[in-house]
Amino acid sequence: MAALGRASSLLSLLALLLVPAAGAGGARWRGEGTSPHLRSIFLGRCAEYSSLLSPELRDKNCTAIWEAFKVVLDKDPCSVFPSDYELFISLSRHSIPRDKSLFWENNHLLVTSYAENARRFMPLCDVLYGRIGDFLSWCRQENASGLDYRSCPTSEDCENNPVDSYWKMASMQYSRDSTGVIHVMLNGSEPKGAYPVKGFFADFEIPYLQKDKITRIEIWVMHEIGRPKVESCGEGSVKILEERLEKMGFQYRCINDHLPVKLLMCVDHSTHPDCALNSMILHTRPRTCGCGGSPVLLH
Amino acid sequence: MADHRFRPVSGEKPCCDISKKARICLCVVFGLLVVVIIAVVVGIVMWRQPPQHQEWKGAGTTAHFYEIILGRCYTYTQIVRPELGHKDCQKIGKAFTNAFLSKDPCGSTEQDYQPLMELTNQTVPCDKTLLWSKTNELVHEYAWVQRELFTLENTLLGYMGDGLRWCGDLGSSEMNYQSCPDRRKDCSNNSVSVFWNTVSKRFAEDACGVVHVLLNGSVHNTFDERSTFARVEVFNLHPEKVHTLQAWVMQDIRNISSDSCSDASIKNLKLILSKRNITFTCEDNYRPIRFLQCVKYPEHSSCRSKI
Repeated sequence: MAALGRASSLLSLLALLLVPAAGAGGARWRGEGTSPHLRSIFLGRCAEYSSLLSPELRDKNCTAIWEAFKVVLDKDPCSVFPSDYELFISLSRHSIPRDKSLFWENNHLLVTSYAENARRFMPLCDVLYGRIGDFLSWCRQENASGLDYRSCPTSEDCENNPVDSYWKMASMQYSRDSTGVIHVMLNGSEPKGAYPVKGFFADFEIPYLQKDKITRIEIWVMHEIGRPKVESCGEGSVKILEERLEKMGFQYRCINDHLPVKLLMCVDHSTHPDCALNSMILHTRPRTCGCGGSPVLLH
Repeated sequence: MADHRFRPVSGEKPCCDISKKARICLCVVFGLLVVVIIAVVVGIVMWRQPPQHQEWKGAGTTAHFYEIILGRCYTYTQIVRPELGHKDCQKIGKAFTNAFLSKDPCGSTEQDYQPLMELTNQTVPCDKTLLWSKTNELVHEYAWVQRELFTLENTLLGYMGDGLRWCGDLGSSEMNYQSCPDRRKDCSNNSVSVFWNTVSKRFAEDACGVVHVLLNGSVHNTFDERSTFARVEVFNLHPEKVHTLQAWVMQDIRNISSDSCSDASIKNLKLILSKRNITFTCEDNYRPIRFLQCVKYPEHSSCRSKI
């Protein structure tokens, strides 16, 4: 009995010792930690984008762009604002070809495949300031200098975190520089709705579209092969988006399962009944806005 | 009171009291001095100038070559295939440049790349090797969608070197950014060609199970005996590991002619493989890749009719 009592008190002592250790070992934030070798990846991507993809970008100074970016690595990880990236953006921004902008929500990989390395379209991840940061993560430690490689804050931890602020700034700039026909690819199989009413597209892209430089907006609502069609054009959150664009005075067109993108999805599901080509043609009739009333004035 | 501080100016008097001969002598000496100084300056400038690289007929080393391969190495080992996160990209980058710096760019050998090869060893799962010939764009679009398949450019080394050019020079420790040897017009044993031959050979040697190859049915020589696929890859498949080579022969969607699997060059490939005890199968216009071609031409009749 006495032995048991001693053992249990030993165990509780051990537990007391271990708990703080576990706390120190656990991650502080919800997001992925700083990407290892961040600087090398950053410089390599900058150099590659400049020299291989866009010859007219050869004057971009990647070292200066890195110097402008890295100021945020010294800041409190919950006090990094979009404006902290202003210099970085001003050094790395470049023009986007007309009619080639492609906005999206909830289909990153599909968009990258379809964009064909900026040959077909130029989504944000195929623009210099988008390419540099794609799939990377970064933040300073909370109470010390030096990077936190274990975790970084997400929006659920705090709003003004380095990564979200980066993408907010990048999204705003991308929108401002987009001209001609604007394309948006949405995921009609996403259970939470194809158009996130609070999201990068809604909050940091739509408001910054330059009406006088845009001819019309084309929405593609794509449904994943073999997954339910949660929303389509004119339904649910898509309807909210259409109404918002109409109110803003944009001409728009909404297409369900835009054929070229659908064909791309079928590469992976070639034997699925949804990929029997005959049936695909029938469902892709575009839905255009009524746009009764005054036409959009284009300068 | 007489003012002794000023001398009366009396016309044009010479400043120095020397003879004409002396003046000529002085001018000559002065002239020589100027020439000597110029010669010394020029000599210093020329001596400090880096040695000139040789001139070749091909494009020079890609700008920022080292930053690019280093960035790619980290992207690949940290993001694309994180199971390779233990690889030391600093060492790999150094081994890559050591393979060609300070060396004759027309005398590159497989041995030059051995240290690099050892640091970048990678296992490709069986049945997932995808070879290709004359289908560069299409095969990589397909591998992007079917992420479990590996083309050479989806392995670490292939990913690092893809689309880049590089060469050095015997007389210099610098990369030659002005020009590099062209395979046909200068020499075939150049740094870049030898690299691709070396990595292609290993890629083929490491393959196992069913190996796929994407071929172009719309060109004259679908199976081209001069291609890297023919010269290097086919001959380095190990029959004990690779039992089948399956070819997907794709034709340009706008110009589909007869069955390309019965093409003469394909029959040649079949013969070569049977001599090596490897089964050969062939599929015409493989459906998943046909979908990929349709993305570019969705209105085409073969993209509208049910296959």
